[in-house]
Formats: sequence, structure tokens, C-alpha cells
Amino acid sequence: MKTCCYIERFATHDALTADPKKLVPDPMLRRRMSRVVKMGVLTALECLQGERIDAIVTATGFGCLADSEKFLRNLLERDEELLTPTPFIQSTFNTIGAQVAFLCGCRGSNTTFTHRGRSFESALLEASMLLAEGSARRVLVGAADERTPSQHRVMERMGLWRGREDGEGATFLLLSRVPSSESRACLTAIDFPDEPLDKEQIAVRYVADRVLCDDYALTGCYPTASARTLVHGIEALGGSVRRVAVCNSYLDNRPSIIVVACP
Amino acid sequence: MEQIIRELKEQIVEALNLEEISPEEIDAEAPLFGDGLGLDSIDALEIILILEKNYGIRLENTAEAKPHFYSVKSLAEYIVANRQK
Amino acid sequence: MRIAVVGIGIISAAGMGIAQTLESLRAGRSGIVPEPSHLATRHRLPVGEVARSNAELSEALGVTGTNSRTALLGMTAAAEALADAGGSRSNTALVSATSVGGMDLTECFFEEFGADDRRGRLRLAAHHDCADSTLAIARYCGVDGFTTTLSTACSSAANALMTAVRLLRHGIADRVIAGGADALCRFTLNGFRSLQILDPAPCRPFDALRAGLNLGEGAAYLVLERADEATKMPYCCLAGFANANDAYHQTASSPEGEGDYLAMRWALERAGVMPEEVDYVNAHGTGTPNNDLAEGIALRRLFGERMPLFSSTKAITGHTLAAAGAVEAVFAALMLRHGEIYPNLRFAKPDSRTKLCPVTRYRRQPLCNVLSNSFGFGGNCASLLFTRAE
Repeated sequence: MKTCCYIERFATHDALTADPKKLVPDPMLRRRMSRVVKMGVLTALECLQGERIDAIVTATGFGCLADSEKFLRNLLERDEELLTPTPFIQSTFNTIGAQVAFLCGCRGSNTTFTHRGRSFESALLEASMLLAEGSARRVLVGAADERTPSQHRVMERMGLWRGREDGEGATFLLLSRVPSSESRACLTAIDFPDEPLDKEQIAVRYVADRVLCDDYALTGCYPTASARTLVHGIEALGGSVRRVAVCNSYLDNRPSIIVVACP
Repeated sequence: MEQIIRELKEQIVEALNLEEISPEEIDAEAPLFGDGLGLDSIDALEIILILEKNYGIRLENTAEAKPHFYSVKSLAEYIVANRQK
Repeated sequence: MRIAVVGIGIISAAGMGIAQTLESLRAGRSGIVPEPSHLATRHRLPVGEVARSNAELSEALGVTGTNSRTALLGMTAAAEALADAGGSRSNTALVSATSVGGMDLTECFFEEFGADDRRGRLRLAAHHDCADSTLAIARYCGVDGFTTTLSTACSSAANALMTAVRLLRHGIADRVIAGGADALCRFTLNGFRSLQILDPAPCRPFDALRAGLNLGEGAAYLVLERADEATKMPYCCLAGFANANDAYHQTASSPEGEGDYLAMRWALERAGVMPEEVDYVNAHGTGTPNNDLAEGIALRRLFGERMPLFSSTKAITGHTLAAAGAVEAVFAALMLRHGEIYPNLRFAKPDSRTKLCPVTRYRRQPLCNVLSNSFGFGGNCASLLFTRAE
């Protein structure tokens, strides 16, 4: 599906520069944040740089795993008695989106997609539809997933790490309906082809000068790693590279494609 | 009483993840909620659990118990009067 | 572009399927039972449990193998909705909402894995993520188009319906099956219990003495198409919707019900409907002191003294979490089609602060505009406006 909106800027958890205490000055707010929430919220705020937005769309493959596990373990160990509510509350999939809305006072549309390897692509599609229909002028869209020892172990037993490095991360992008002098890229398509495609087929189909497939050695393997790969794609734009296709096939033989072009 | 106040401050800091506050920094007489320490309704539930787990106090009517949740000191007094363990 | 509801399907404590559900709603029969019989919990708390075991659900569906209860409920309701719409159509998308996904199976897995990470059947852990139930429904219903999963706590299914409308308007799909599914599990029952917001008795939404919610389970799906290409006489149209954030607290509603108010106001604005044109509101009305007060204040802010008829049907179904928005959207479709209102059970005395009295008995009443509210954790407020099909 064709889209037309602009990526104004982005932030990734591995390149955070701002002091967490400056981004979230109230220690009473920081104290309940689990690692994935902290990672997501801080990355979102760094991307936002205090700018007003009309909507927030987040993505996560597994949600707040550590808090879910904490509550589940307590429940089983304490035989369903004397359970502390905090990890339950923090385990909801929309925790990051909700915290960001609270911190930046955004009362607009706030949605969370959690569809395995297509979580981020779903969020990006929703964001681009919000912009195209005029429901929003600026949308913050992003993804976060955390690695936990239990999840690593379960997926290891399933044989999913063979030839892959597991990982975690958060990436946020600020999308705008209209371009500005600061626009980094134009988002031109999000697509879900029905059949597996190799790099050459993708380059031809999406008229791309470069095709970036998941590189888990670079990003680590997690359901929303394609958000991080997209940033690599945006950074690759320039010179003779006018259009980049990012291909994500997380635990799936059918790819999802995101296409960005020079603005 | 002093002993319980000290215990309680430590338990509150731990249960509520008040990582950046040390137990000594909490004023035993200052309000726990709102303007004082700034706790909220979820923290109230965590404190109810502290009472139940560590002192064997089961609150049947949380509305009636509200005044006892004003400060660390009022909580400590309530514990001294009602503790089962 | 008008969006039509051409098929509906449901399974909840109110019954299996549309026909049984309609009977319960009209008779004002509560599906809340004193304690769960299928859920393996030690708590004896009233719940809106679907009166079928997983084995019975699987058999009725004709499926074998391991499936989460969420997936089984979802397949049942989605298949009914699709059949009601007249069978499959090409370029159909599925937007499904869930908050627990396969947590029921993860709980079983963790009983062994928790003590020894070499143990626990991997087959049980493989269904944990939210996408699993959506993919199972897509396979079962032969969905050939775009598929995704949404999770925004208790407003999830209402948000799924909004995304569905967008997919139709942007031409990404020609038909969308949208809704939600959530099974009862120990995780949520204990979670809400730890928040001390479960009523130990059957819930009493909007009553002055209300003391909390009852958890429910179920699934509901609606088949949406562009009205000018609708393959069937529609139940109603989904004319307006809005998703607003309270931006106040992770679990509590703001004292002035700001998010609730904005969601309703924006939904009406988008549909071009004035507050006085609303005939009925299906309230979120969980029965917790905090929710019903904030929602009541928001209703008063929007409607003032000209409050339309309203009720919370959660006293019949329990709070079905991520499915609630779709369960109640199906009720809205039935109310508009049949010209009737389903009652708010166990209401006796209004809250002195809002003085709101819901409809407490089944009544026949022609309706044009029905508003349906779903509010959730994280301040996530959603409102849908359904209008009578012309």
C-alpha cells in the first residue's frame, strides 16, 4: 500500500544522549518503569524533543515481559494470595504509549499494536493512515521489546536462536503529514507480499536502490527489530541511493516491506 | 515505636521502588499522599499489603482505615495497636 | 464514506451466538455466576464465564490440538460473524484485539518452567503472544488480507473497529472482520483482585453502593464493509469514533472524566451528530466507584440535563476486557436493528454526585444514534457512534 508522509527525525535506545533524569524529571514517575518501559519512554521523549503531537502509535511483539513474568511467578508461588498490583498494571501492552501520553500531555489517539513480527509495520500503517486522512498532522510512532532470561530460555529450547543473535531495543520516529526542511525521508510504501521475495525481486518490485534485510548481527533479533533496521535505511539515503526498501521476515517466510525515499 | 517507624520506612522504600529516596529522608510526620511524599492509589494498595504480610493486619474496611494512612507515624501507631505478628 | 456493519458474531456469559445472546439480553438474564467452574483458581468470585470447556469449544469448532481459550472463543465468534455476513469475500482483513492472548496456557507452562527452566511443555508457551489468537482466527476463517492485533487494555476492541474503518476507507481491504477476544485466566482475575476492584457480589454499575466489577470473558466480531458496496442489508453504520487519552494516571480516571468526555465529543463531531440527537449510550459502566463516577461526570458534561437513555450491559456479561468494545458494539447493532434497549441490572439508587439513572428494564424503543463507550488502563478512552442503516 502506498503512503505519503515524512519522517522528521528518529531516536534509538542505543544512541540516547539526554539524561533520563532530565527527560523524566519526576522520580515518582521513573520508579515504576521496568526496563522496556524506561527504554521505550526515554527513546520516545528524546525523539519528541518537546514537540507537540496529535497521536501516538506504539508497537511491541511481547509487551512488558518482565512485569508479566513477575506477576505470574508471584501468583504461582504465593498461591494467588498477597499479590502486589504494580507489575500487573505495568504489564499492559499499552503502558509505554500511555506513559508517553501522560508525560507530553497528548490527549489524541493512542494505540498499541502487538502482532508478532508485524507489530511495527502495523503501527506505521496506522500512523500513516491517521496522517493521510487528516486526523493528525504529527504522529509519534515507535516500537519497544525487551529480552528476559525466561523468554531467551524458552526460545532457545524452541531452537529459534540457531544462527541468530537475540536482542532488544526501542526506536521512535516522528512522522509529519507535510515535509519540512528537516525531513529525513519520505515514507512511500508499507507492504505485505503474499510470497517470499529475494533481494533482487524486492529491488525490482519497489524500485529500490538498496534493499536492507534483517541483520540480526547488527540489531539483535526481536519482534520489532525492523524499526531499528528502518533507521539504518533512512541513514543510507543520500547520493545515488534515492530509495531504500527495508525487508523484515521475523520468524516468518513472508516478508513485510517498508519503503523510504529521499524527501 | 521508633523501631516500627524505621522498619516501615524501609519497607515502603522497597515496596514502592522509591530508589532515589533513602528511608532516613522520609519525614515520619509528613503526609504520605498528595503534597507530602506524593504517593497515589496504587501505593496505598502496596502499603495495605505491607500491613498484611509483615504485621498480620487485614483491613476489612479501607475507607475507615484512611486516617491511619496519613503519615508513617500514624501508620506505625496503627500497627502497634493492631498487629497480629 | 459510510461504513456498514453486515455481520455479527458473539460468545459470552450471555450466551453462545447471537440468538441465545438476544434471549438473555431481552429477558435481562445475567450471565454472572457465583464462582468460575472452568477456570482453575482458588478464588470464589463472581465471574461472567462462558459455559463451555475448552474441549467443548474445540469440538464445536471441529479443531484439534492445543489452542488458547482466547483463540477458541475468537474463532467461534468470528466464524459466526462471517457466516452472518454471507460467507467469505476476497480481500478480507482481520483486526483483532486481546489483552491476555494465550496467558491461560502460559500459566500452565510456568507451573513447571517456573521451578526448572528445562521443564514445561513448549507447546504451551508457543501461544503466549497476542498475535497467536489472531493468526488462529485468520486461518480458521480463511482470511486472505491484512491481519493485525491491537492491545490497549479495556478499550482494545473499540480501537480495533476504528482501525478497521481506516483499512476500508484507505482501500487496503474490501471487508474487515474486527473485534476482540479475551478468556478468563488467573493472571487477570488476580490482577484485578490485587487492585481491589472486584465486587465480591454480582456487580451493580452506576448504583450508589457499587463496589467493583466482575470479570467476564468472551469474543465478539463485526464484519464491516463500505456501505455503497455492502453485500448484505446492514445492521447499522459505524458513523463516528474517537480515541482520546485521559493523560492522568495509569489506572485511575481523572476526576473530571476528561478522556471519557473527549472521546464521546470527538466521536459525535466526526459523525456530525449533535449531543441531543443521541438516543442511547451503552456506557463503559464497569461498576467500580472510580470509573462510573468519572464516566457519569463526563456524560453530564456532554449532555447536561438532556441525558439520553443509557445502560451498562456489564451486569449481564461481566467485563470482558479487550473484547468488551466489540461485545457492546454487537449489542448496539442489535438494539438499532430491533429498536430496543437492554437493561442495566442490579441498579437501585443513583449516585448523589451525578444523579444518573440507567434503563433498568428491557424496553422497545426506536433508535437512530447509539454511542458506545470503552475506557481502559493507561487513560485509553474510546467511543463509537452507530447509526441506523438508512
